[in-house]
Amino acid sequence: MNTEQLYQQRLARYVTAMRNEKPDCVPIRPFVAEFTAKYAGYTCQQVCHDYNKAFDAAVKTAKDYGWDAVVPNMVYVWTGLAQAAGLRYFGIPGIGIPHTTGFNYIEPPEGEAWMREDEYDELIRDPTAFLYNVWLPRVSTEVSRVGEPSTYRNNLALVKSSMAMLQYFYAFGPQIQRLRTEAGTVSAIAGIFKAPFDILADKLRGYIGLTMDMATQPKKVLAACEALMPHLCHVGLTTADPTKQVPIGFWMHRGCVPFVNPGQFDSHYWPTLKPIVEEFWKHGHQTLFYAEGKWKHHFDTFRELPDRSIVFHCDRDDVFEVHRRLHDKFAISGGIPNVMLSYGKPEEVRDFTRRVLREVAADGGYILDSGAIMQDDTSVENLRVMTDTCREHGVYCSGALLPLTAMPPCDVPASIAQRQQLTGMTGRPAPRVKPGVCLPWEEKVKELPEISGDRDLIRKVWEDIEALGNTYIWQLLLSF
Amino acid sequence: MIDMKPLYEAVLKGDAATARALTEQALASGMEPITVVKEFMVPAMDEVGRRFECNEYFVPELLLAARAMKAALELVRPLLVKSGVEPQGRVVVGTVRGDLHDIGKNLVAAMLEGGGFEVVDLGVNVTPEKFIEAVKAKNANIVALSALLTTTMPAMRATIEAFKAAGLRDQVKIFVGGAPITQKFADDIGADGYSENAPGAVTLAKVHAARAA
Repeated sequence: MNTEQLYQQRLARYVTAMRNEKPDCVPIRPFVAEFTAKYAGYTCQQVCHDYNKAFDAAVKTAKDYGWDAVVPNMVYVWTGLAQAAGLRYFGIPGIGIPHTTGFNYIEPPEGEAWMREDEYDELIRDPTAFLYNVWLPRVSTEVSRVGEPSTYRNNLALVKSSMAMLQYFYAFGPQIQRLRTEAGTVSAIAGIFKAPFDILADKLRGYIGLTMDMATQPKKVLAACEALMPHLCHVGLTTADPTKQVPIGFWMHRGCVPFVNPGQFDSHYWPTLKPIVEEFWKHGHQTLFYAEGKWKHHFDTFRELPDRSIVFHCDRDDVFEVHRRLHDKFAISGGIPNVMLSYGKPEEVRDFTRRVLREVAADGGYILDSGAIMQDDTSVENLRVMTDTCREHGVYCSGALLPLTAMPPCDVPASIAQRQQLTGMTGRPAPRVKPGVCLPWEEKVKELPEISGDRDLIRKVWEDIEALGNTYIWQLLLSF
Repeated sequence: MIDMKPLYEAVLKGDAATARALTEQALASGMEPITVVKEFMVPAMDEVGRRFECNEYFVPELLLAARAMKAALELVRPLLVKSGVEPQGRVVVGTVRGDLHDIGKNLVAAMLEGGGFEVVDLGVNVTPEKFIEAVKAKNANIVALSALLTTTMPAMRATIEAFKAAGLRDQVKIFVGGAPITQKFADDIGADGYSENAPGAVTLAKVHAARAA
């Protein structure tokens, strides 16, 4: 079988499992991050600073292990971009933290949060403008605040970081192609999404700040989540797989009990998340619920989602319980403990993987992976054992590969009413500035002399380029 | 004698302003600072821990209660120091080398303070040497190590080894915690205790303090 045939077979295997069906064998889709550096002979510092090395490492690792799907660069953060923008929220290998350590996100002290407690109204009024005017100057060592004198370094930071972002994004196309042609491996996800409540905690108010706000100004928090919804939904849809085969990555952070209480989950987290996941599904996109930590309190709630609309990824939940509670509706991935893969004995890995294959994968709808992304502490041998065990014991006698068709767009009647309650979602007035846009054409055109000829052409070019400004700031918020 | 039940309730509800005002009143009325702490604040934090264990309280309620406790303690602590009252114990806390995550560590620190311990918070990315230095400087008897990443778990072992090499291992109890940590790992690296949550860390510290007393 040549690499292209291998690729087609693996894609069909992966997609069949994600649609909760039984393929020919259990697909393996490890989210390997700094592990690839260790395996391919690079340092954490090298793969974080030089994405070409990270790409090489991902291809080599996927090829040698023969995995079905991987993320083209799960280290993802590239310090070239982070440093050009002067981002304060990264601990960069070799700068302030050991060069042998993977990058870390830094949460500022509560009083120095990237968004302050009295700034909700400004965020709610126009989230994109808020990100540019308030958030970016605060998270950057270089960018000046609106109203303050611009500086040489401000101008350089904006130009360099936006060009760096394009350079980096454009490098992903060839990298996905390399995975396909050199390793026969599928790019595992496309698109990025985070829940409104999570992003408020992660990059705006901080977890502690948001927790305090939930006690003092819960209505403002809810309004902020609602204001973020159409924008986050837009980012997800515009970055999703156009062939509608691999899912949108949804990185779930602190929205679960006990980080929030059950009432807060019901009042804030879920009502501003569910309609977006349903909107994705309506467009034929599955969402990969990358459920970091433990989400067992919410399994019944997740069952409200349409069948197959998500793939539930198990981190530190009990994967056998996840299977019992969710497998009739959704495919499941993950569940092999990272600590075991890093510090366990090969026999433990073999036994646990066999048990997962026997009990969780038996009816299909399972993709083998560890609980969380794998860094350079993961054992090369243990990952080999996990892979070999799956290839040996993860074969179905009655499985079949689904034809490679896109997920058809579908409607989700139960959710229509809920979506309609939300600004900017189906059936509701659009936000003041629509998602995907910073400075609307309708405003810009008032400044221009009379337009003649092909007005739509002029508008379209303006809007296409204008959208890059929107992409820049929302990608900074969500991806970097 | 003023009714102090509302102070207990204020801490339990996480009402910092009321907790502070009631503490002020109590001290003004001549109540001994140690009585305010032992009779009302610490029992309130014990109840917060109990409710967390029973899934009645969650991390937000812990944080709010710890805030209320802190607001009240700020008034009491200088008086305790002045009158020579020793804390239950001195705890050095920090996130280990290479790890910059601090939400869990901060929560443990706040809950320990609320439990009557003096806390020296070294922050994040703390080297073994810094832990040792702080233990010596503050004469601490407990060290609480935090790690969120599996990659930084070995730094916990390294820190414990460094205490051994410095000849200080027998003078301190070392507790570990953080998302990937398990009791088995704690045992493997020779830690004295592990808890999967902040109230559990306070319980560990109290058990140790009671044994040491």
